[in-house]
This record gives sequence, C-alpha cells and structure tokens, in this order.
Amino acid sequence: MAEARAGESFLKAQKEHVSRPLRMTVGAGLGIGGVVIVQAWLLARIVSAVLFDGASLADVTMELVLLPAIFVARAGLTYISEIASFQAASEVKRRLRDELMQQVLRLGPVRLAEHKTGTLVATITDSVDAIHPYYARYLPAVTLTAILPIAILIVVLPADWLSALVFLVTAPMTPLFMILIGKGAEAKNQKQWSTLMRMSGHLLDAIKGLPTLKLFNASRREAEVVSAMAEGYRRDTMAVLRVAFLSSLALEFFATVSIAMVAVLIGFRLLWGEMTFFSGFFVLLLAPEFYAPLRSLGAHYHARMEAIGAVDKIIALLALAGEMPPPVERARAMAWRAPRLEFKDVTVTFADGRRGLDAISFVIEAGERIALVGPSGAGKTTVLNLLLGFVTPASGEILIDDVPMQACDMATWRRHIAWMPQRPHMFQMSVGDNIAMAEAGGNERDAKALMSAAREASAEALIERLPHGLDTLTEEDGRDLSGGEVQRIALARAFHRRPELVLMDEPTAHLDPDTEKSILAASERLLVGRTSITAAHRLNTVERADRIFVLENGRLVDEGDHETLLKRGGLYADLVQRAASEG
Amino acid sequence: MALLLRLIKLMRPVRGMMALSIALSLLAMLANICLLAVSGWFIAAMGLAGVAGASMNYFTPAAIIRALAIARTAGRYAERVTSHEATFRVLAGLRRWFYDRLEPLIPGALSDQTSGELFTGIRNDIERLELVFLRIISPVVVAGLAGLFVVGVLALHHGISAIVIAALLVVAGVALPLIAMRQGAKPSRDLTALSSEMKALLIDGLEGLAELQLAGRDAYFRSRLAGLSERQISCERQLAMQQGLASAAIVLAANLALLAVLVLVIPAVRDGSVGAAYLPALMLLALASFDAVVPLPLALQSLPGALQSARRLFDLADRTPNVCEPSQPRRAGSGHEISFDDVSFRYAKGRPLVVRNFNLQLGEGRRIAVVGETGAGKSSLINLIVRFWDPTSGRITMGGVPINELALEVLRARICVQQQRPYFFSATVRDNLLLARPDATQGHIEAATRAAQIHDFITSLPRGYDTYIGAHGRLLSGGQVHRLAVARALLNPAPVLVLDEPTEGLDAITAAAMFRGISSLAHDRSILLITHRETGLADMDEIVVLQNGCVAARGSYAELSRLGGPLNAFKSRIDDRPRDDL
Repeated sequence: MAEARAGESFLKAQKEHVSRPLRMTVGAGLGIGGVVIVQAWLLARIVSAVLFDGASLADVTMELVLLPAIFVARAGLTYISEIASFQAASEVKRRLRDELMQQVLRLGPVRLAEHKTGTLVATITDSVDAIHPYYARYLPAVTLTAILPIAILIVVLPADWLSALVFLVTAPMTPLFMILIGKGAEAKNQKQWSTLMRMSGHLLDAIKGLPTLKLFNASRREAEVVSAMAEGYRRDTMAVLRVAFLSSLALEFFATVSIAMVAVLIGFRLLWGEMTFFSGFFVLLLAPEFYAPLRSLGAHYHARMEAIGAVDKIIALLALAGEMPPPVERARAMAWRAPRLEFKDVTVTFADGRRGLDAISFVIEAGERIALVGPSGAGKTTVLNLLLGFVTPASGEILIDDVPMQACDMATWRRHIAWMPQRPHMFQMSVGDNIAMAEAGGNERDAKALMSAAREASAEALIERLPHGLDTLTEEDGRDLSGGEVQRIALARAFHRRPELVLMDEPTAHLDPDTEKSILAASERLLVGRTSITAAHRLNTVERADRIFVLENGRLVDEGDHETLLKRGGLYADLVQRAASEG
Repeated sequence: MALLLRLIKLMRPVRGMMALSIALSLLAMLANICLLAVSGWFIAAMGLAGVAGASMNYFTPAAIIRALAIARTAGRYAERVTSHEATFRVLAGLRRWFYDRLEPLIPGALSDQTSGELFTGIRNDIERLELVFLRIISPVVVAGLAGLFVVGVLALHHGISAIVIAALLVVAGVALPLIAMRQGAKPSRDLTALSSEMKALLIDGLEGLAELQLAGRDAYFRSRLAGLSERQISCERQLAMQQGLASAAIVLAANLALLAVLVLVIPAVRDGSVGAAYLPALMLLALASFDAVVPLPLALQSLPGALQSARRLFDLADRTPNVCEPSQPRRAGSGHEISFDDVSFRYAKGRPLVVRNFNLQLGEGRRIAVVGETGAGKSSLINLIVRFWDPTSGRITMGGVPINELALEVLRARICVQQQRPYFFSATVRDNLLLARPDATQGHIEAATRAAQIHDFITSLPRGYDTYIGAHGRLLSGGQVHRLAVARALLNPAPVLVLDEPTEGLDAITAAAMFRGISSLAHDRSILLITHRETGLADMDEIVVLQNGCVAARGSYAELSRLGGPLNAFKSRIDDRPRDDL
C-alpha cells in the first residue's frame, strides 16, 4: 500500500515537467464539454421544432448547417487531446529513460554487479514503456471526468432539476462501488498472485525443463500436469475475475439505470405537460455523455495500476546510492609516464556492510611490477577497482604521483590505464572498433595502429583469419569467438591504448596450453616499462613479479619477491604448496 | 485463411461456450443500442400525447426501458464472465496440444534456435493466440450481427436511411481500420525492431560497462540510447496520430449517421410516411449502432500478428523429431555395460564432427572420467548416451543391445544424468528432487543432499525443503544449482550415473567432500564423470583425455600423471576457484 502511494506520487511528480501538454489536455477537455452541450442543444431544437412546431427541413436549415461544424470541432478537439497527452507521456518517458541511463553510468559496473543485466534492461525499456498509458490514457480520462460531468450538471440543472438530482446522486456512487469492489478483487488477486503467476508460467517452465524431464522419464507424466495447471489457472483466475468484473457491473448499473430513470421521469412529466419536449430531449441526450467519462476512466484504470507496478523498479534503481567522488574543480595536470602509486590506510566498505579492504597501505614505484595473491575475496579485485575509479574508499587516500586521486580528472586518469579483466567484453561492433574503443564511434580509426597493436598481442593471425578482417562484426558478447580469441583481442585493445598503468585480472578459465602460453607471452610484453598490478592465479606469473603482495581478508599480510616469501613460510608458502599438490 | 481455420479447429471443444458468449455479448450490445432509441421514442410519444391531451399506454414502454437497462447491465457482466471462461478453456486446450507436439522435439529438433529466442517467442505467441477469441472473433461477429440488426430496423421504417447507415457502418468499421492498419504497418514493424535494438544496445553496454567507462565512451553510449529512444517515440507518435485520427473518424461517422437520419427522415415525417415519434428513435438508433464498431480497429490490427504467431507455433509443432522411438522395441538385456563402438557425431550436416571414432567400455560398476577443454566434445557424449541425438556413425550399446532398439523410457530409466546446466522447475526444493524418484522417502532425499553437500544449505532456508525455487521462487547461485543437481542425480536409482562437471563453482575442500559423498552413496553404480577439473580424478578407474573430439590419451591417473602432457593443463593454479554461494 505504501509502495503504491510512493509510486503514485512519483508519477504525479513527473507531471510538472509536462505541464504544457497537460494544460492543453485540460483545454481540449473544456472545449469538448462545451461542444457536447451545444450539440445536444441543437439536436433538441431540431427534433422539438419538427415534432411540435411542424417545422420542415427548410425551417431547421440553420441548425442542420451548424451541426457538421460542431461534429468536426468535437473530432478535432478529441484528436488534440490525444496528441497532447501523447506528447506528455513521451516527454516523461524520454526524461526518465535518460535519467536511468545517467544513474547506471553514475553507479558504474561494480555497484551494479549484483543486479542482473536482464532486470536492468527491462527497467530501462519495459518499465519506462509501461508508464506511457498512465499519461496518455489515464490522466486525460481523469481530466475529462473532472470537467464534463460538472459542465453537464450546470446546464441540466436549470432545464430539469429532477434529472440533475438523479445525476448528482448516482455519479458519486459509481466510483465508490468501483473502489470498494476493486479493493476486494485486488486483495483476492494479491493473495494468489504468486500461485497464479506460477500456473500461468507453467507451460514455459515445462518446455524449458523438457530435457531434464526426459532424463528422468517424466516428460509424459508432465503433460497431465500441463493440463491440470491450465485448469487450475482458469479456475483461480475466474474466481478473481468474477469479483473484478463486479466493479464494471456497478459502473454499468448506475449509468444505465439512471439513464432509464431519467427517460421515464421525463416521459411522465411530458405527458402531464409539466415540461417542454425541448428540455426533456436535451437532458436525455446529455445523460449518456454525463456518464461517458466515468466509463472511460473505468476502462483506463488498469493503466494506473500497471504504471504504479512498473514505477517501483524505476524508483528502486534511481534510489541506489552511489558514493560518487565529488566533481573535480581544477584537475591537476597528469604527467604521461608510468605512475607511482601509494595507498594510505585505504578502507573499502561494500553496500552490505562487508569490508572489502581494511586500512591497507603500500607504495608501488613507477614501472614496478606487482602481483596480488590471496584466496578469493581477499580484496585483489577491489584494489584494481579502486584504481579504475569504479569503487571509492570509505576512508584513507590514494596518491597518484603524490597527487590525491580525488584531485585528478577521472576521464584523464582512465586514459592512462589498460585493464585486462578475466572475461573481457566484446561489443557488438567490428573487431577493429573493439580494439580501438574510440570515443566517437571509431571514425578516427587508424588501421596501421590497430594492426600493430594486434601484432603485439599475437592477434594478427586471428584477425587475418576472420572473413572481413578488422571489419568483421562480432556477435553478441563475442559468442562466435573462443575464449582465447577474446583474450587476444582484449590484449590488442590494451596495447592500442598505449597505457602507462596496466591492471590485469588473470583469466582462471581453462585455455588450451598453446593459447595460454602465447597469451602469457603477449601479456609479458604489455607490462614492459609500465607500472602494473596483476591479480594473479598462476605460479609463473607470480614468479616474474618484482614484488608480491599477499592479501587476506582485505589486509596486506605479507610482501616481497617469490624467494623471500617462500622462505618466510606463511600464507604464500601455503598457497604455493597447495598448487603444487593439486598439480 | 488456412491458418485461421486450423486455429479455429483447435478451439472446437469450447465452441458451445464461445457461442454462448457471443450471444450474450450481442444481447448486451443490442440492449444498449435500443435503450437510447426506445427512450427517445418514449419521451417523444409521451410529449405528443401530452400536447394532444390523448391517453397512452405508458406501462409497456416504461417496462421495456427498465428491462433493457437490466439486460444491458446483466448481459455485459454475463458476457464478460463467459467470454473469459471460454478464453481460458481455449488456453488450456492450446497449451496441452502444444506441449504434446513439442515433447518429442526437444532438445534435438529445435537445436537450431537459440533457447532465449525460442522461449520468448513461444510465450509471446501463445499469449497472443489465447486472445484471439476475446479480441478478434467475438467483437467481429458481434459488430456484424448488431450492424445487421440496426440496418434491418431502419429499413422497416425508412429504406434510404438504412442504406446510408449501412454504408457509414462499413466505412467506419471496415474501411477506416484497414487504412489505419496499412499505414500503421511500417511504424509498428519499426517499433518492434527498435525495441530489440534498444535491448541489445543496453545488454551490450551494461555487460561491457567497465570497458565502456574506461574508454570514456559513456557519453556516447548515453546519446545512442537517447537516439533510439527518440526514434521509438517518433514511431509511436505516428501510430498515436493514426489511432487518434481513426477514433476521431469513427465519432465523426457516428455523428454523420445521425445527421443523415435527420435530413432524410424529417421530410418523411412531414409527408406522414414515418410516425413523428420515430424521428428521435431512428436518429439515436443510428448513433448508438456505432458503439458496435469501436472495437474493430483493434481487432483488425491484432489479426496479422495473431496469424503470424499461429504460423510460428504450427511450424514448430509440425517439425519431425530427430530421434524416433523404435517401432518394435527390443527387451533390454540384464546387464547395463555401456559401450561406444567407433562413434562419430556431428550436430547437423555441414557442421564439423564433434566426436570422432570414439570408443569406450563402461563396464558395470566401473568409473571412467572424460576430461578435456570446453568444446572438446564431452557434453556431446551425454547427448548420445541418452539419445537426445543419434550418432552420425558407429553405435552405442547397453548390455549388448543397441540403444536405438530400446524403448526410450527403458533406456533413460537405466541412465541418470546430472546436467551441467540443470533445470529447476518453479516448485519446491522437494518436488524438484522428487522428479528423480517420485517414491523417495525423506531419508533417501537427505542421504542424497548430504552427499552433494547441499543439505545444510537447504535446511538453512526459511521453509527448508518446502522453499519455492525456479523462475517464480528463490534464486539459487551457480554453485547451489550444481550441488542440487548432483543430489537429484544421486537420488535417482538408475545403475549408470553420468556426472557433468559436478564440482563446477565449488572450492577445493567442498569439491573433495562431494566426491567422498558420491563415492559412498553410489559405490555400486557405474560412473561416467565429465570434467575439466582435477578433483576426483585420482579415484577413477580410467581417464580419457578428449581433444577436438578425439581421444588424446587414456589410462589410469597414475599413468597419465607420469606421462605429463594433456593432464598438465590443470597444473599451477595457486588459488581456489571463487566460492560463489557465500
């Protein structure tokens, strides 16, 4: 309930950005009100004149000529109101989508890691689309409901107070009953929501699991379950719907019965000569128009429910806290050379309260080659993520060439870094663009530079084998490339950046020995003359490092070169020992 | 048309309910139309009688008005209930039919489709077809019959206006929607394409977000999404404008019908050929009759999509299975030794061989491991053993009988596979486990889950073994999924156990404990272990190293370790695999 209120107020808050088109909807609504009344008035005059004053076509020419103009005006105003509300809806959509996109970029990959890509994508696309009908259908219906019945009541009151009274009494009853019944249906629906979802999704569940069912000889048995589930779904959904339909029954009932009442009441007073036919017919013509907005509101009410349901996810994503580094006012100039890095008591706390790093301090000299080792969860990746700017320290300081990292412009700093993650991502663009990763979409691509990067990464042969060389498009996340090929292209990407700092997370996935050897050799070349930090998983990588940092539970427990650490015993010696015993 | 007929044929079992629903819908529609017309006639007649000072039987018309009001209200409710009832029955029939058709086809005959596309396709298509009656059939039939009724009544009083109204109804109900549909076809198509393009862009960008930000391409990414969003909105605007025009046109047509009746009938009233009180009645009848055509644009708009969905589903359902039940299955021998004799296999013509001249004897109670890198053909062996596919050449026997001469259920009752990508249904943990052995006791279940090192995790869940998992329940991590799959396989009593990467995602200590559990619980069963890790290999009777579908080496663990070579690929890892389920 509280969630629904938050959703509704979020949706309402968006209205301020689209006040102009919404005002246009109101204006068009007022216009429609006026036109509806004039139309009823003209029709009542014509029929009354023909029936009671013996008028012929010629006598009502004036009214007959005005009618088409009124019709066109009504159609035009309806059209304007639709377009204006569409405008409002699409403006809200455009803003929200961009806001979500900015939020995603603000949060960055690490803070988004625990959110499934599919859910994020659905929030940015489907959820944003789902609020469209709220502005395009529901709000205009609300506007018309607020305007039309009152306008009609004002003109009906002097013509026939009794009918006005009927309108006045029945109008509030309709929404009242709708809300009462709607609440009942919703409660019923909520109660069985998960059961209903499960039953509704059962067929797909069964089809997805068919191989498993077959392996356990249960696939024929499941056919009966498919039938039973569909049957249960019918039974339970109909139980909910029978109640839900009562709310539209209430709406229909009040609208229809009061029209009938008005007609009968008018009829008798006409018979008794207590009112003119003109007034009576005028009121009768307006009676359906009085209830029409309420009916259309009832028809579009579900748009509101759907929007509120969808907006939850949007609010949740926008509410995620990203501790962002404050914007840099005057960024310090950065020298283009291998940097010296210093961590001073750096502590990282994750959103769930876990400590990623615990007051860690170390210095890495320019051009030094560091290997990080330790059990998973020790904080190796967090050290890399800090330098990449994907994670910010809760306390402590990182110095780059003695300048605090907060004082550096992030974009400039990142240009110094090449990063080799465990599973590099291949974008759906050409292999060349994947290597270049140029900012503006790759028009300043220099084929020579690309090929030389490829050569350094031992990816030249691979690219020559591709059907269109550098211009070959990669499929979704490089699905058409093997793990080794992806690694090679990512290495070429790293060489192409001409970085000063190399951050590397060694692949743990199994590559065939030849590929592994050649990738290791290429990585070696990448590190030469650069500062580098490698989260290492392999003995031979560690052995070649200038210094090894041994991490455990977010602390630096030991450091030194391979020989020293081995002699000293402790965690490093244990790790090496275990590797040897597995191998 | 043939498609539509085939679809309607599938709905035959519910035709009674559908007819009832259409009748009720028509009743409600006609009551609505007549209510206004009779009311108009009533007050005109009452007014005329009042002026003339004549008496009038007002009981009957007043009663008719009340009856129509009630018929409309009750009729609409009854119609809604029956039409949805009919829809859900159609749904039940359609689902069962489709499942029965698909059952023999998966996974072999549908392997040319990526599973994601296949499943979203099926879901969307079935959802669309389920609405065919409610959205298309019922409104079209009702509009046609109601239109005929109105035109007939008009014709009784004034022929020419009947013709004019008929023409206007056809324009508003058929011509306008058709034009709107034709003009809307391109933007609708673009919209679908844009929506998938947007999703693809987002998936690509979000999965590569780190690389994107590192390259400073985030602004470009944002602007590309904004560009797609803009194009989407412009397509939607075109559609909204067309829809706005179409609905304005229907309102206009209704009002023109009213005007036409006025202009045509007023002279007839003057010359006495139409009774004066009928003027308001006929005029309101014409106006209200357009209510019946309001749902037609939507109905016509959804028709091509529905037919396309029907075509896709029929195409899937009409495929021929790639593995057939033997027409006269042989009785299984008493043994369950499995033997591969010179087996080669490719998934489709023109694709490379994934298994080449493979030989293997898995004697009763023996334990063999097949190791090799991803793509070496290990998992294809499983697909062949359980006959998800048949070998391209060579043959596989069980207890000396070729497996393609055994009934599929007999074969699969003797072999139990722990899948590398197991599927867990949207059901409780217990139900998912019982799939492997419906008559298992809690004791059997716990023995299996303890061996698979997952019992403690399950009991830590708030509802223990009764926790819902799967698509609509608790999400399990990769490691939990694997352990649960191992438990499910251990629960199954089949004498041959096939394990596909059982320790995936587990740390070394848990993996070792799991192997001890498997060894003790399955001590009398044959085991075929497929893995690319080293854990557990030492306990195997034989190890087969597979490379590119060929056997690169085979022998005992000790022999292969001495040789070095292929087995060495496992060496020199200095840390544990990540524990992904903490």
